Amino acid sequence: MHGGPQSLVSLASRKVPVTIHTLSPREIWDFDLTYAHTPTDRRVNMAVPASKRRKIEHESSEEDDGASFASFGESDSEADHEAEQDVDVDNANDLEGDVSDDGDEEEQATGRGSAPKQSRKAQNEDRPKSQKPVSASDGGALTAGSFKSNMFRLQVDELLQQIRPRRGKREESAEQALHALKRTIEGSAPRPACSVVEAERELLTSSKVTIPFPNPRPPKDAKYKLEYAKPANINVVGSFVLKTSSRTKETLDVDMSVTMPSSLFQDKDYLNYRYFYKRAYYLACIAAAVQQAHSGEYDLCMQSFRDDGLKPVLVIAPKESLGRGGDIKPAPNWRINVLPCVGADVFPADKLLPSRNCVRPAEHAGAEPTPSYNSSLRADMLMAQSLKLVHSAATTCDAFRDACMLGSTWLRQRGLGSSISAGGVGNFEWAALMALLLQGGGNNGKPILSERYSSYQLFKASLQVFAMKDMSKQAVIIGQAAGDVRAAATGLPMVWDGARSHNLLYKVQPWAYLQLRREARNTLEMLGDQLYDGFDATFILRLNNPLLCTDRVLELSVETVKDQRKLYDILKQGLGDRVNQLHFRLPSGQSWQLSAAAPEYASRGILQIGIVINPKTVDRTVDHGPTAENKTEANSFRKFWGEKAELRRFKDGSISESLVWASGEAGQSVLEQIVRFLIKRHVSEAAEAAASFMSDAFSPMLRPGVSNATFQPIVDAFKQLETDVKGLEDLPLSVRQIMPADAQLRYSSIQPPATVPNRHRPMPADVTIQFEGSARWPDELVAIQRTKIAFLLNISDKMREAVNGATTRIGLENRDHDILNQGFLEIVYDAGPAFRMRVHHDREQTLLERQLKDKSLAPSAKEAAAVGLATFKRNYLRTPGHTQAIAGLCSRYPALSATIRLTKKWFCSHLLAYHIPEEVVELMVARTFVQPWPWQAPSSVQTGFLRTLHWLSRWDWRAEPLIVDLSGSAELKQYDVQSIKTRFEAWRKLDPSMNRIVLFAASNIDTDGTTYTDGRPSRVIASRMTALAKAASAQIEELQLSLEPASLFSSPLDDYDFVLHLSAVAWGGNKRSSSKGRTAFKNLELASLDDTSSVGFDPAALFLDELQDLYGSAVLFFSGGAERPVIAGLWNPQTAPRSWKVNLAYSTVPVKAANAEGVQARINKDAILSEIARLGGDLIERVVA
Amino acid sequence: MVPMPSKHHAVANAVNEFTVLPLALPPTSSFPKKATHYLYLRPNAPKLPTADTPREVFLVNVPVDSTETHIRALFAGQLGGSRIDRVDFEGARAGKGITAPVTSVKKGRKRKRTDAEGNVSTAEEVGKLPETWDRELHRSGGTAIVTFVDKASSDLAMKEARKAAKAGQEIQWSLVIEAQAKLLGSARYTAHHSLAYPDSAVLQQSVDDFMTAFSAQESARSRALTKQRSVPDSDGFVTVTRGGRAGPAREEEAREKGEELKKREKQRVGEDFYRFQTREKRKAEQMDLVKGFEEDRRRLEEMRKRRGKVRPE
Repeated sequence: MHGGPQSLVSLASRKVPVTIHTLSPREIWDFDLTYAHTPTDRRVNMAVPASKRRKIEHESSEEDDGASFASFGESDSEADHEAEQDVDVDNANDLEGDVSDDGDEEEQATGRGSAPKQSRKAQNEDRPKSQKPVSASDGGALTAGSFKSNMFRLQVDELLQQIRPRRGKREESAEQALHALKRTIEGSAPRPACSVVEAERELLTSSKVTIPFPNPRPPKDAKYKLEYAKPANINVVGSFVLKTSSRTKETLDVDMSVTMPSSLFQDKDYLNYRYFYKRAYYLACIAAAVQQAHSGEYDLCMQSFRDDGLKPVLVIAPKESLGRGGDIKPAPNWRINVLPCVGADVFPADKLLPSRNCVRPAEHAGAEPTPSYNSSLRADMLMAQSLKLVHSAATTCDAFRDACMLGSTWLRQRGLGSSISAGGVGNFEWAALMALLLQGGGNNGKPILSERYSSYQLFKASLQVFAMKDMSKQAVIIGQAAGDVRAAATGLPMVWDGARSHNLLYKVQPWAYLQLRREARNTLEMLGDQLYDGFDATFILRLNNPLLCTDRVLELSVETVKDQRKLYDILKQGLGDRVNQLHFRLPSGQSWQLSAAAPEYASRGILQIGIVINPKTVDRTVDHGPTAENKTEANSFRKFWGEKAELRRFKDGSISESLVWASGEAGQSVLEQIVRFLIKRHVSEAAEAAASFMSDAFSPMLRPGVSNATFQPIVDAFKQLETDVKGLEDLPLSVRQIMPADAQLRYSSIQPPATVPNRHRPMPADVTIQFEGSARWPDELVAIQRTKIAFLLNISDKMREAVNGATTRIGLENRDHDILNQGFLEIVYDAGPAFRMRVHHDREQTLLERQLKDKSLAPSAKEAAAVGLATFKRNYLRTPGHTQAIAGLCSRYPALSATIRLTKKWFCSHLLAYHIPEEVVELMVARTFVQPWPWQAPSSVQTGFLRTLHWLSRWDWRAEPLIVDLSGSAELKQYDVQSIKTRFEAWRKLDPSMNRIVLFAASNIDTDGTTYTDGRPSRVIASRMTALAKAASAQIEELQLSLEPASLFSSPLDDYDFVLHLSAVAWGGNKRSSSKGRTAFKNLELASLDDTSSVGFDPAALFLDELQDLYGSAVLFFSGGAERPVIAGLWNPQTAPRSWKVNLAYSTVPVKAANAEGVQARINKDAILSEIARLGGDLIERVVA
Repeated sequence: MVPMPSKHHAVANAVNEFTVLPLALPPTSSFPKKATHYLYLRPNAPKLPTADTPREVFLVNVPVDSTETHIRALFAGQLGGSRIDRVDFEGARAGKGITAPVTSVKKGRKRKRTDAEGNVSTAEEVGKLPETWDRELHRSGGTAIVTFVDKASSDLAMKEARKAAKAGQEIQWSLVIEAQAKLLGSARYTAHHSLAYPDSAVLQQSVDDFMTAFSAQESARSRALTKQRSVPDSDGFVTVTRGGRAGPAREEEAREKGEELKKREKQRVGEDFYRFQTREKRKAEQMDLVKGFEEDRRRLEEMRKRRGKVRPE
C-alpha cells in the first residue's frame, strides 16, 4: 500500500515534525486532552522593589530633549543596568540562557514594566468615559468603549507584553558597539577636498572602498570637490532609541545618524545629485575608518537605505567570535545602520517642495518636478527633527508607544514596511504620522488623535485616517502648508508636515497605497464586526502568502520590466473592471561589499503581481470601447490596444471600438490572454516570453466545471415539482409548503446532479412537504408515521394520473426505529432529476418532547425519543432552512458553490466524508465568505478553498464554536452569539472528554450547534481533520506558488489497519457479470430492471452503514464516498486483549493467559475480515490488511 | 497486519462453562486467507428457566451472516446430527451491552421491539410494514439460543461439540450452506433496494390494517379510561386519569395560564418604579460587567495555556 510520492501526509510528516504526532490516525486514538495537563504555570515574580520599579518606569522622562547619544548611552543604560541586575538577583540562572529564550526573565521584565503603567493607563481611560457606569472594582479594568471588548483588550495587553522592547544581551552588545563606533568615527582624520576622480582612486587604493555613488554617477570633470571632516554630531535615532519597535524581530536594527558638517556643502548642492555624491563620499570615508579600526569584530557592507538608490548606508553587523573554549559563539543578532545626514538649515526648505525640480536636464530648464528626489533629500535634513517629533509625542501621550507597536505589528503582518519595495509605510512612518495627528490634521487644524486615547483607540483612529481619506486625491496637511502643496499631489499619497515642510509618505508606491487603504478598511470593518473577535486576524496572522491573498499571480523578471509604475498603469487600464486589485511585490534591495560598486537598484529578482479578480466579469469575452463618433477616445483606445481593437456593430445598433478574446475554456483564460497581450505590446516580447502566469489550478479538479449552471436543471425541476404537487386536486389536506432539503438543491454536492438518464444513476434530492394543520391526525407517533405513508400514497396516485413525465413510488426507511419517518415518496422525472419527499408534521415534535419528559418511560424509550427529536429537528426544521440559506449565499458569492464542492472533495479524498457531515463542511466554507477577515470574501475557488483550509488548521474546536451568520443581512445578533457560546460552554462542561459533541457548528438557522455533529465526528476524527489541515497549510506556506494542487488531495492508505478496495460493482458502473451462472435467483433479475428503479441505489453506502452497525464498536471506518473507492478501518484500541466475557461486541479468540489461570479474549481480526469479505461479496475487490 | 494470535498463543478449548468450537472460514477471492472463527456454546441457563430450557443451547459469538439454516446444518451435518426445533438470534441492537443469557423470545423470530411500540403491539401484528431485507445480519460477537427437538438432542450436540473442540477437529462453516442461503454482496443490496419499494397496494393494505387496529385500540383505551374514571377500585379509590372532560390539552393550558399570570404580576409594578429597583438593576449590571471581565480573563488564561504566548507569527 503506497500513497503517491507527492502525498501530503508523508511530505508533511517529514518536514513538519510537530505534526507527526497527530498525523497517524492510530496515534490519534491516544491523543487526549494532554494540552490541559501541560505544566504552564509560569512564575511571575514581582519581587522587584517598588523604588526601582519607578525608576525604570520614568526612564523615558529622564531622557533630555532629542534623546542625544550621550544621554542614551549613560543615564539610561545606567537605569537599565540596574534593572538587569535586579533580575540577576531574582533569577540568576535564566540569564545564562539565550536572549531570545522565553523564560521567567522575560515575564519579569514585562510584568515589572507594565504593572504600574497599566493602572495609570486605566485611570486615563476612565476619565473621558465617566458618564458611563464603570465598575470601580477592578481598577477600571473594564474597557467600556476604549477597546473593542474585554477579551480584545486583554489580548492586546498580552501581545504588548510580548513585543515591548527590553534590554537583553543583544541590546547591550549593540550599545557597546555604538560607543566604539562613535569613538572611531569621531577620531577619524579629516580628508582634504579633492576631485571626484582623485577621491575615488584614493579610497580604493588606501582602503579598498568604492564610493557608492548613486546612479547616474558624477561626471569625471565635475567642478565641485569632495571632502571629509569630523561629523558635527553623532546620534542614535529611530525605533531603537524610541523603544517603539517590537522585540520579536529577528534582527535588532539600530539607526545611527552621523550629521555631516555644513561646511562641506555649498548653497546649490541640493541640485543635480551633488548632495548625494558628497554624502556617498562621506559615507565611504566613514566606512574606511570603521573598516580600519574594527574589521576584526564587525562585518561591513553597504545597502540602499529603504531601497532608496540615492542613499546608500553602511551596515555594521557583529562577526561570530570565538568563545573561551574555542567554540564559535553565534553573533548577537543586531545591525547598526550608519546614516549620514545634514542639518535642517543647510538647504532652503522651499527649494525642496514636491513641486520643484531639482534635477536639471542638460538641455533646457523648467522641467518636471522631482518630488521623490526632493523628499529623499529633505528626509536626510530632518533626521533629528523627526526623532524629536516622535519622542515628544511619546512623552506626552501615554499610550503612544503601545500604539506604535500595534501599528508596526499590523503593518508587518501585511507585508508593509518602510522600504520602497515593501510599500514605503513602516514603523517610522506610522509613528511619525501618529505624532503628527496628535497635533493636527482634522477640521480647522484640530488634532485627530487625543493624548488621552488608549493604545487601541490611537491605533484604530490612525487606521481610520488611512481608510477614510484618499491622500492621493487630497493631501492630509498638518500645520501650515506652503501654497502649492495641494496642487502638487500627483496621484501619489501625501501627508504634508507643514512645520517640517515634508511629505511623510513620499516613498509610497501607488499600488502599496491602495493596499494600505484596503487593509485599513478591512481591519476597521473587521473590528466593527461585533460577532467576531478580530484580534488574531489583526495582529497575529501573517498575510503575505500570495496563494491566500490573491487569485492569480503573474511573475516577471525585474530586468525586463524597468519601469514598474508604467506597467502598473498599463495593467490597470487594460484589465479595467475584470480585476479588483493589483498587488505588486518587488524584490527587496541587496547589500554589497565595500569594495564592490553599488548594483543598479533591484536589477535582479522577480516582480510578483498578485491579481484579485472580479468573478463576475473576469471571463467576459467582448469588451466595449468608446463609440466610433467619439474620435479622441477611440484614437487613444486604438493606440492602447493596437491591432486588437476592432470596430464592431452591436445588436443595439451602436458602432463602437471593441476587443474580442477567445473564450477561456480551450487554453489560456481571458485574463491571461489580456495580460500577455499588454506586456507584449507595452513592455517587450522578451518580458512576455519570460512571464509566468499562475491561473486557478484548483478549479479544473471539479468536474464538470465550477459554474452554478450545472445545478440549474434540478433547481428547475424542483420548481416544477412544487407546481405539480400544489396543482393536485382533492388532496385530503392542502399543501402549505414544499421545501428543498438537499445538497443538490443548494449547489453544494460534489457531483452536480446527473441530468442525462441512463448515464448516471441520479441520487434523489430530499424535499419536505408540509400540509395545513388538521385535528384529524392521530396523536401517537407510530400512527403518525403510518398516516404519512397514507398521505404519500394518495399523492403518488394523484400524481400518476395528473402529471406526465414523472414516475412515483413509495420507499421505506428506518426499519428499526418505528417512531422515525417510515416512508418517502420518490418522484423521478423523465428528464432526469429525482426527489424524495417526506412529510413534515409539527405535532411530532410536541409528542417527542413530551415523551422525553415523561418520567415513567424506560430509558431506552427515552433514548429513542431523543434520537427521534434530533432527527425531526434536523430533517424538517434545520436542513430546509440551511438549504435555502446556502443556496442564497451561492448566488450572492459566485465562488462559494465551487469552493464548497472542492472542500467536500478534500474531505472525501482524506476519507473523512463518512464522519464529517456535509452541512458542517458547508458551514466551514460559508464562514470563509461571510466572515472573511482579515481578507475580503474570496473571489476565486482557489482562495476560498485555501483560506478554508488555513482556518481549519487553526480552528481549536475544543475551545471555539463555529458560528456562521448565513443570512447575509446580519440576522445573527450579538445576543444570539452569546447564547450560542453559553450553550457551547455548557456542552463542554457536561461532556468535557468530548465523547458526544466534538465539533460545535451553529448558524443563524441552527442556534443549537449540535444538529449535525451529535455523536459524529468523534474526537479522533476531528483531530485527524485538524492534523490534515495543518499539514496542508504547512505545505501551502512552504511551497507557496509551486504548490501542486493534487498533492493536497492525496493521503496514503498505510495509516489504516485494513483497507477494503471496492469493485466497480459498488459504484454501479457495471452491471453484474452473469459469469457466476447463478441467474436462477430472483435477485439477479433485478439488475436488469429499468433505470427508474435503480434511482438512489448506492450499494457502497448501504454496505458501509451495515458495517458500522455490525462492527461499529470495534472498528472505526473511513470512507470517501464516491470520490475514493475504498473503505478503510482502524481497530479500536478498546479491543485490546482482556479477560474473556460473554458480552464482548466483537468476534474473539479465546487465548490461554500466560499464567494458565484465566482465558483472555483477543479480537479475531482475521475472522472479522473474512466475515466482511463474505458480506461484501462482489462489492469488494480485495481486502488489504 | 498483526498475524493471527492463535499462531503464537494456545487457544483455550473451554472458557468458563463455554465450550470453544473453532470454525474454519473458507477463503474468499477478495480475502484469500484461511481464518478461524470461535463459537462458544453451553447449555442454556437463564435466571428464570422455562420449560424449554433443558433442550436449549446458548451460543456466543455467532458469525454475523449466520442464518437458521447455517446453524441447523452445523449441528446436523458436523456435530452428531442433532435436530433443531428453532434458532433465536439476539435481536436487540442496543449500543453497548446485551444482557446474557438471553431468554427465549416468545414472539418467534421477530426482533425485540422497544417499549414505545409495545403499546401498540396488537396493531403491529396486523399492520406490519413489508420487510426490506431478505437476509438478516447479526451484530458481531452476538448470541443466539438454539432450541433442539428434545433434551437428548441438545445433550448430544454439546457432547459432540466438546469432543470436536478437544480433538481439534476442523469444523467447516457455511461451505455448502451458503449456496442455499440468500446471496450476500451486491445481490443482497439490490434485493434490498427493490424490497424497499413495495407494491403500493400491499403498502396501502398494511397501512389500512394498522390504522383500523389503531383506532380500535384507541377507542378501547378511551372506553377503559372512562370506566376507570367512574368506577372505584376495590379499595374504594377512583383512579385519576388523563383526558377528562376538557381533553388532553388541559395540562398545557394550565401551565400557560400560570405563566401568563406571573408575567402580569411583574408588569403590574413597573421595573423602574421604586428607587431600590433601579439601584439593584444597576448593581446587577455592574456585577454582570465584572463577571464578564473575570470570565474573559479566565478564557484568555485558558487560551494561553492552549496556545502559548500571544505573539505575532
